[in-house]
Amino acid sequence: MSLAHERVPGPAAFQRRGRIRPGDALLYVVTLAAALSGVVLLALITREVLVEAWPAMQKFGLGFLTTQAWGDHNKTLFGAKSFIYGTAVTSLGALLLATPISLAIALFLSELAPRWIRRIVAPLVELLAAIPSVVLGLWGILVLGPFITGTLGPALHGSFGWLPIFASKPTVGSNMFAAILILTIMIVPIVSSICRELFVGVPQELKDGALALGATRWEVVRGVVFPYARAGIAAALILGLGRAVGEAIAVTQVIGNNVAIHTDLFKPGDTLASRIAGQYQGADTALQVASLVYLAVILLVFSLIANLAAQLIVRRVAGRHQIR
Amino acid sequence: MSANAPTADLFRTERMRRRRIVNAFVEIGATVAALLAVGVLVIVVGSVVKRGWGAINVDFFTKTPALYSGFGPRPESGIENAIIGTLIIIGLALLMALPVAVLTAIYLNELAPRKLAGVVTLAFDVLNGIPAIVLGIFVFVFVVVGHGQAAWKASFALAILMVPMIARSTQEVLALVPTSMREASLALGAAKWRTTLSVVLPQAVGGIVTGATLATARAAGETAPLLFTTALYGDALDFNPTHPLATIPMFIFTSAEQADPVQQQQAWGAAAVLIGMILVASLIARWFADRSIRRMKGER
Amino acid sequence: MKAFVTRRKRLAGVISVLAITASAIAAVSVTGAQARSGADELKGAGATFPAPLIAAWQQKYEAAKGVKISYNPIGSGGGISAISNKTVDFGASDAPMTPDQFSACGGCVELPWALSATAVMYNLPGLPNNLHITGPILAGIYLGQIKKWNDPKIKAVNKGVNLPSTDITPVYRSDSSGTSFNFTTYLNTVSPKWKSQVGRGTTVNWPAGVGARGSSGVSGVISRTEGAVGYADIAYALKNHLKFFSVQNRAKKFARPGLAGIQAAAQADRKFNPQSNELSIVNPPGSARFAKAYPICTYTYVILRTKSEKANLLKPFVTWALTTGQQYGRPVIFQPIPKYVVARGKATLKKVHQ
Repeated sequence: MSLAHERVPGPAAFQRRGRIRPGDALLYVVTLAAALSGVVLLALITREVLVEAWPAMQKFGLGFLTTQAWGDHNKTLFGAKSFIYGTAVTSLGALLLATPISLAIALFLSELAPRWIRRIVAPLVELLAAIPSVVLGLWGILVLGPFITGTLGPALHGSFGWLPIFASKPTVGSNMFAAILILTIMIVPIVSSICRELFVGVPQELKDGALALGATRWEVVRGVVFPYARAGIAAALILGLGRAVGEAIAVTQVIGNNVAIHTDLFKPGDTLASRIAGQYQGADTALQVASLVYLAVILLVFSLIANLAAQLIVRRVAGRHQIR
Repeated sequence: MSANAPTADLFRTERMRRRRIVNAFVEIGATVAALLAVGVLVIVVGSVVKRGWGAINVDFFTKTPALYSGFGPRPESGIENAIIGTLIIIGLALLMALPVAVLTAIYLNELAPRKLAGVVTLAFDVLNGIPAIVLGIFVFVFVVVGHGQAAWKASFALAILMVPMIARSTQEVLALVPTSMREASLALGAAKWRTTLSVVLPQAVGGIVTGATLATARAAGETAPLLFTTALYGDALDFNPTHPLATIPMFIFTSAEQADPVQQQQAWGAAAVLIGMILVASLIARWFADRSIRRMKGER
Repeated sequence: MKAFVTRRKRLAGVISVLAITASAIAAVSVTGAQARSGADELKGAGATFPAPLIAAWQQKYEAAKGVKISYNPIGSGGGISAISNKTVDFGASDAPMTPDQFSACGGCVELPWALSATAVMYNLPGLPNNLHITGPILAGIYLGQIKKWNDPKIKAVNKGVNLPSTDITPVYRSDSSGTSFNFTTYLNTVSPKWKSQVGRGTTVNWPAGVGARGSSGVSGVISRTEGAVGYADIAYALKNHLKFFSVQNRAKKFARPGLAGIQAAAQADRKFNPQSNELSIVNPPGSARFAKAYPICTYTYVILRTKSEKANLLKPFVTWALTTGQQYGRPVIFQPIPKYVVARGKATLKKVHQ
């Protein structure tokens, strides 16, 4: 990216003998407007969402985050606790499953596979990312759900029933476990493709040096590739987490839409995004609408933090590896 | 010990064997993971094709959902209105997003002072990370409340989604254009704007098309923004973008939860059509990307 | 220079292609717009409960008068919010609007236009249809207290039936639903515990079970889940071949959600709510007159704006629905509404104008 730093300087350079070419000025203005539209849009989105959520924020305050209720007391009490819990469990669970799988796939595609396998498998993994979430949800309802209640659930409950997360046998296909599996399928392609590029970008000299010292392939990965790409992997994982947190459609199709908080993964639950998707259309009181947008505010705050954290990590790394 | 002797066998010590076992274990694990990913893809796409195949016939593409009441078997019907609606909405979204994205990329890559570029890039990256459902709420509150749903409002929401993606890939490909080209053009007396539009941009067209196609493929599958802007659609064929139009993702979303097996099959069929469209778009994007990379490298 | 000219030609080519595409889209849209504005159509959205009847009305009314009716079953809450947001011409809801909702709507009227029963469906393979159940048992199930099908309370009202030990999975509406309003109103009347702990509404804090969107969604989950129980309009049970309970009414008889049961229940309330025209016929009294009454019946309402551009189309349609349209209800188990309801509807309709 060294070319990016050799930019032609700004408006000052357009001035020739004190005259700015009108074409250049026009281009500058038009492109500046386009670029600023992003900033303006971001501010607008934040403002509109906050304004819409304000009645609920005013009524419930921060206690909203710790109240477990939805529509109680004649639809005057709403709280986000169940959904924050559901979002945390499903996203972190998906991340837990996706991390080793994505790293392994990235390793496979960058280090292990011969070129011809790479050319076949890499597009296939990308294609997994291209499957729309509503189609994954459809598959989740009609294929994964019955599979969980029929085969996978009883097997997990039978072998690991002593763990609180598998404490009961799933009775219905809509549960948090299904949501975790669907989210895993969604974030694996994203994380693995970023990690693959990171691993490919590790300088060959470093890897060769380790190999020359007698390291096995795995030891090269563990000792050279991972530490080198460590920050980028963290950023990729955070981005994957952000994707999982924001997913509304596929989750609402398979999670069961229940407000109770269970440790058992085979019970239904709900997440922030999923509740918004499920109820917004039908919210028939102003307070319910405001509460749903309050959920969106929480979601927005979280995704902003995750995004900024990932950006920060990437920028720090870019600064560090500047000598190229 | 024995390792210091020049004729010692470097590979058969206990430690070495253990390290090799661990290495083999990891290599197998990585292969299994890759196979798992491919396997899941095959299972999902396989399910879609297997279960949706029965729904796909000429009627599926040329008929709209039939008006049906009573308890008898549901008549054959199609998703023509949904396909048209998706094409119109995606087309409009692309029309809205492409100019903004390309102009932004030009600004960031060619014209911007360092600090402002940083702020703008950050803003677009953050915009990229906003969940689609929040964008849906924003568009609903901003343009739908009090005025009604419409297809172009759905396009607006999807355009917000597409701009960061297209801008980023345009930026990448603009950066690949050699500075020498720009300098040569400027040295010949061409204005900055002329250089950008006639020399730099044409080189980047391949990358722009790739980015636009990928963004379109992604937007075609988004359902959340549609819930807020084009959910109250009719069953008849409609081309008017000021009306809410049927779309394939919304069709799948509503048909997926039905108990009627015919409707479920239609959902699978629509999913197959959607995946087909996305696959075609991805292949086009990939072909364009390969072509422009070859061009960049000097081969024709 | 030759390369420069070629580039310019190519750019010109790209621009003209884009321009042609853009104008093609614009032309098609404008033509489409002109074609559509000529057609008479009404747009509605709301409850899934009356959707089977509205589907019949859509066909018959278009055949009779040439007016196209489009209807999106997004739930009663969706209907109320859509008509309040002016995104549809009429809204449909099984739940009467509250005074707050009326003021948020800003000039709306509501009137009952159909009448049917909420069936309680179950998925127990191998067992007969129309098993018995009582209100308190239903409340216990939905409170999460009665967990298995072979619970003694259920066995007590189903003597001789071999109930399995399967877990009960209660299914409820995850969206804002008038059918939920009807069902929870019923549970309120039969279970003080339900009334204090959960209450009634289009959205409540369901203590147990899973949620599904729409009556179709509930039917879908039940059909896929052994041991599931859920509520939806009776037409959905019949359409999806799901078994449904005979529910005990206050006269201690187990009644089925058929036309006879609905007709008997309809007499339970003749006093219209002044603002919403609500008639609440849930859990009729135990007198002989209501011996056949099915205890979970409900009217379903249409919501119109008093000032509407489409008033000249809306009024004939709603009048037709109240009168001629009722006969098309019987095949889908919608009992024709009593004459006094028709009269009240027509009187309320007078408030709607252009």
